[in-house]
Amino acid sequence: MTETMVPVGGPEASARRIGVYVCHCGGNISDYVDVEKVIADIRGAGDVVVAKTAMFTCSDATQQEIVADIQANELDGLVVASCSPKLHTYTFRGVAARAGLNPYEYTQVNIREQCSWVHTDDTQAATAKATALVNAGIGRTRHTTPLVPLVVETLPHTLVIGGGIAGLRAAIGLADIGLKVTLVERELALGGWVKDLGTMYPHNRNGRELIDSLIAGVKRRPAITVLTGAEVVGKAGSFGNYRMSVRIGDPGSASIEVAVGSVVVATGFDAYAPADGEFGFGLDGVVTLPDFKAMVDSATGPLMWKGRKVRSVAYVYCVGSRGTGGCAGQACSRYCCAATVQTAVQLSGLDPAIGQYHLYRDMRTYGKFEPLYTEARKAGSVFLKFDNDMPPAVETRPDGRLTVTVTDLLTERTELAIPVDLVVLVTAMAPRANDELVKVLKLPAGADGFFNEIHPKLRPVETVVDGVLIAGACQGPKTSSESVASGLAAVTQSAAVLKKGYTELDPLVALVVPEACTACGDCLTACPYDAIAMTQEGDRHWAVISAAGCKGCGGCVPMCPESAIDLLGYTDAEVTSMIESLAEVPA
Amino acid sequence: MTAMNYDVLVVGAGIGGMESALKLGDMGYKVLLVEKEASVGGKMILLSKVFPTLDCASCISTPKMASTIHHPNITALTYARVDGIRRSPDGAFHATVTKKARHVDIDACTGCQKCETACTVAVPDEFNADLVARRAAHITFPQAVPKKAVISREGSSPCSFACPAGIQAHGYVSLIRSGLNEQAYRLVLDATPLVGTLGRACYAPCEGECTRGSLEGTLPIRRLKRYASDAHEASGNGTGIEIAAPNGKRVAIVGSGPTGLTAAWQLARLGYSVRILEAAPVAGGFLRLGIPSYRLPEAVVERDIDNVRELGVEIETGVTVRDLPALKAQGFDAVLVATGTHKSQGLGVPGEDRLGVLGGTDFLRSVKLGHAPNLTGKRVVVVGGGNVAMDTARTARRLGAASVTVAYRRGRDEMPAHHVEAADAEKEGVGFALQVAPVEVTGDAAGAVNGLRCQRMRLGAADASGRGRPEPIPGSEHVIACDVIVAAIGMRPDTSAFGTQLATDQGGRLVADATSRQTALSYVFAAGDAVHGPTDITRAVGEGRRAAHMINRWLTGGMLAGFDDRLPVVDKAAVLARQKAYALRPGTPDGSTLEAAPADFRELEAPLTDAEATAGASRCIDCGVCSECNECVAACPVDGCIDLRARDESFEAQVGAVVVSTGFKLFPADLKPEYGWGRFRNVITGMQMDRLLAPTRPFNTILRPGDGKLPERIAYILCTGSRDEQVGNPLCSRFCCMYSVKQNQLLMGALPLADVTVHYMDIRAPGKRYDEFYEQAKSMGANYIKGRVADISETPTGDLVLTYEDIENGGGVVKAEYDLVVLAVGVQPNHDAEQLFEVGELAPDAWGWVGEPEEDLNPGATSIPGVFVAGAASGAKDIADSILHAGAAVAQVAAHLETAKTGAGKVTVPA
Repeated sequence: MTETMVPVGGPEASARRIGVYVCHCGGNISDYVDVEKVIADIRGAGDVVVAKTAMFTCSDATQQEIVADIQANELDGLVVASCSPKLHTYTFRGVAARAGLNPYEYTQVNIREQCSWVHTDDTQAATAKATALVNAGIGRTRHTTPLVPLVVETLPHTLVIGGGIAGLRAAIGLADIGLKVTLVERELALGGWVKDLGTMYPHNRNGRELIDSLIAGVKRRPAITVLTGAEVVGKAGSFGNYRMSVRIGDPGSASIEVAVGSVVVATGFDAYAPADGEFGFGLDGVVTLPDFKAMVDSATGPLMWKGRKVRSVAYVYCVGSRGTGGCAGQACSRYCCAATVQTAVQLSGLDPAIGQYHLYRDMRTYGKFEPLYTEARKAGSVFLKFDNDMPPAVETRPDGRLTVTVTDLLTERTELAIPVDLVVLVTAMAPRANDELVKVLKLPAGADGFFNEIHPKLRPVETVVDGVLIAGACQGPKTSSESVASGLAAVTQSAAVLKKGYTELDPLVALVVPEACTACGDCLTACPYDAIAMTQEGDRHWAVISAAGCKGCGGCVPMCPESAIDLLGYTDAEVTSMIESLAEVPA
Repeated sequence: MTAMNYDVLVVGAGIGGMESALKLGDMGYKVLLVEKEASVGGKMILLSKVFPTLDCASCISTPKMASTIHHPNITALTYARVDGIRRSPDGAFHATVTKKARHVDIDACTGCQKCETACTVAVPDEFNADLVARRAAHITFPQAVPKKAVISREGSSPCSFACPAGIQAHGYVSLIRSGLNEQAYRLVLDATPLVGTLGRACYAPCEGECTRGSLEGTLPIRRLKRYASDAHEASGNGTGIEIAAPNGKRVAIVGSGPTGLTAAWQLARLGYSVRILEAAPVAGGFLRLGIPSYRLPEAVVERDIDNVRELGVEIETGVTVRDLPALKAQGFDAVLVATGTHKSQGLGVPGEDRLGVLGGTDFLRSVKLGHAPNLTGKRVVVVGGGNVAMDTARTARRLGAASVTVAYRRGRDEMPAHHVEAADAEKEGVGFALQVAPVEVTGDAAGAVNGLRCQRMRLGAADASGRGRPEPIPGSEHVIACDVIVAAIGMRPDTSAFGTQLATDQGGRLVADATSRQTALSYVFAAGDAVHGPTDITRAVGEGRRAAHMINRWLTGGMLAGFDDRLPVVDKAAVLARQKAYALRPGTPDGSTLEAAPADFRELEAPLTDAEATAGASRCIDCGVCSECNECVAACPVDGCIDLRARDESFEAQVGAVVVSTGFKLFPADLKPEYGWGRFRNVITGMQMDRLLAPTRPFNTILRPGDGKLPERIAYILCTGSRDEQVGNPLCSRFCCMYSVKQNQLLMGALPLADVTVHYMDIRAPGKRYDEFYEQAKSMGANYIKGRVADISETPTGDLVLTYEDIENGGGVVKAEYDLVVLAVGVQPNHDAEQLFEVGELAPDAWGWVGEPEEDLNPGATSIPGVFVAGAASGAKDIADSILHAGAAVAQVAAHLETAKTGAGKVTVPA
């Protein structure tokens, strides 16, 4: 690992040659901001050598034009005023690099999300604000310095946490790409939920057999080390070089350290446990779907309950999901509609005469699961739709059987009382309670309790912690094969970095000026990433920030009473210049 | 074909393909990514925002698109296709890849869109779901990556393809439609100097091929050419034709007919010094000496010939060339013989030498030269059924003949004359004696003609021409009394002057190479009717162009080939199928006024008025898409960037693994006729609504297409084409509920006063934060009604009445009126991927999607080892699921590549 020291501050403002590009964004900006006026107003600003507008600055053609401008005019700073830096910072850093300009001499100014889109009613004011923002961007660029990315070597080794179907498949996938794997499972046996399943939808494969096949595959691969009855209890280091502590055995047992480049978290889910009395839970004959599925899987003929043949079953859907009956879980659990109709079809096969009543809200047998729903209806299942304002009620009758009362939306809101032998509560996938792990990994979870990805659309297995990936149902409810797919996607994401052997990190990190540091320690407590440590030479003590560990959040900078810390890319000089530029512009 | 090696071929650059290519590239594998459209991005880039985050789809797509195209390990080919993939025994794959001609040099194009502004052809814009039009020269959408133009050419338009002169008929029609009359003139001028001439006297094979002919009638293509010529004449502009610098070489052209004039024109522009040698006292050949003035005024021909003279071509008249080597000796580097067919064939019956028997071409020639015979009061019989016979008969009418009768041995339908010519002759009082053949010219004692003895004929079995062979009916002889007989039964070339210098066939025609028109004397080329026998002036023009091309090739040391560079003609049925229906427009009225007894040689056909020209040209449906009008070439600031002659190029790629990410098709909503899509203009699809909502939207606001009104009552019909056995799709399409919920929210934001109602079966919001997103739409005020809509009808104001059963509120049949109806169309498999492999090799699932037989443990693995599927090609998936699926496929691709030798990378899925 190389840590690059660069001087803080920059050359004198008057020495710069800056190019400024203001984007129309195809009307997104120029419909509300007079971009030509912005250009006219900043053209005279000091150090601005090139000032232009462009219809889509991000287009290939304009990128080429910027490259040509940078080279022809020997620009040493670049400002693009367009959209959010989240979208195109890397685009234009790339443009700068292609032109031979250090990418960190680039400043992105957001005049779309932060200007045109929020001031659609006042072109004049929006234009003035855009001008001020662009001026601030120029102000920052006057003080930028060339920075070099941090190159971090990565270890070709991944830690997989969780030995369910996603973790097992991920371990095999990693090994097959040539990476070493350590698989950690909290239980003594591998296989997670799927090992206890019989027939699964939609291909009617047996869960136990799938898991056996994966375990055999794991055993065949010498690159995989399996630790069962083990838990991850510590994490140190940074992306590419994590040192993970794994405790094998009961709390108090010794830990071993595993050095890995990345971590795949595949810790799965917990089944929702209904509260006592929730849709009759606790009454004799009221069971959850996982328990019921186990009964059906193990049956060879008609179901029996307490020595009596089961003649009818009612399924109450969405228990623990979608706020049904006032429950806390607001999310849809995705897998359960299809799982329930599959179980019903399976049961009809064992006992064609059985009565099955499905009390549902919306039947979510999405995609290719739809034929299962059709098959269930053909096999005799009856479907009744209830409104969440009028949830079904489950009671025990004097004869010991159960009655489910429901107002059916499909038959003119008729209230029906259905006598049944069993009531199956179609319970949600709940987030797993693993607070310890969350604390160790610093993984954020969403309001639903599942781990949060960086972007639910485009980056579903990455997290804000570089090199820590999430796979399977720990990210959100999934079917078994969807969990496998996300496990393999985490393999891909790991391999995309680890196969190369190194990764580059933004050098936008905090830096301590040792001479000014008084070793007060305030910054250590401010750092959420444990990236700051004290060092000493003789009796002189000062703080040192690990460039690989620092995320550039800037949290330490204002904490320092001596102003001994500066944040590269957002130095005091740069930020002060931005503020001064903003202040200069007349309203 | 050159072979290229890559680790992986990825077919399709939608979100699944881009993700696959990027991740494989990041791992260090060399990837060939082939996308059939002109930009990467697939369907996602077309969307407004994405659920449930409401991110702008283009904003989150474009960085991925740019990374894909700039990735050092990815070779991304857009506007390309994979023709087929073969598996070799060693497990590698051999793919044939074709780079479709985009007619734009992708390295030179700056994306300035000047070609797009200049283009004269508008076609439905598929990237705006056909809501608006785009140009043939275009950049697919504003955020296209690469942002490079493409010129859509689906083939030659039938009119242009049919032109024997090689004139871009579609081109000048589309220029006139755009008001660019001078450019239209110049486009024709690029092929031939005879613009005014062809605008009048061409038999217009283009019009016979016009696709519009099967609707209300063909476009007046020939008259549009005359219109452009007249407009040019009126403008007083010069030709503006560019001439190359003199190249020091000289070419002699024998004959100044359409072949000679066109060849001279082409060669002079290439820098040759050209001299035309003409035996007749005037230049123009048949144009000037054969075609009557009422069809082609002399002044028009003279003007066209002046075009040639303006290039410095010398035309010497009254010179009969007999000695070709002498021309060579005089310093001509090449000679073109284009002397045409000027000799009338005799009747070949007794008495044909009597006074009063004339040859057809001789007759027309003497009239054109001012030596018309006096026919006043004479009875004239014209023998023959060709165009010369019709010209002769109609000319005789104008010279005061008492009667004119055309005697022809077959029937009207078999006459070789253009049917319009025969009909016009009849309207001008010419009589027809059909199925008669001359036997003898009878005469009086003074030797003058007094009749034509004929026998009746009947048509027997078909002969080589496909027409019935005339056979005499015994005992049917009779005499047609007459004073003058004109024999117009054929013409032959008069090539006797060249003696033994050039070979001739038994018809007297010159022998020349079928492609190059080169004769046995290498510096002599021969073309036109002198080689082929009588054809028509348009073919003659084409001959002139061909001869000029070959002579230039010969003199510059090139291969004598490459003249015909037309694309194959488009299929007219496919052209018509582009649109559901066509509005029939008024046809263009015939411009000729014919009199029963015409007295003079005034031009018969009136020019098109401006309105007729615009209306006529505007009926064009742009069969080949690009019209070859060349405006883009003129507008492009980079020389040589646009090349309409570019052709598809193929190469072979050898790869270790294949990812098919060919995506899906949207359900064609017209398969649910009860919903009226395609008939009711205010019924649109979900994709059309997404375009209306997108930042690059066509109207910059949300309006209903029928009348531009802001919709206040908007209905959605979910499951259009999904969960529907009637249309053969029992599956759920997974993302239509969610995109509808997204659109509901965006609409309520954009049109706060609008009511949004959704007719649904089940709301399927089964992903992370999806159900919360649905609840949010409900809380914003969207109204969700369970039940399928049975029928939609349209009110006179374009509003729509939906009939449905209100299941949750008593179950009665309800009718509700809306301003705009959005059909939440689902998906269908496209069979693109299957067709890449041997039949049956890439096994589909039960519904036609790419099958994943091991989905439980190896999602993305297909029936072929080494071939993986990513994204919605294996079944409907939203963006997030496509990304995960691509990630799964990529992990297995890498495992396959790493373990291909050992075979260790598979996970066994228990049966």
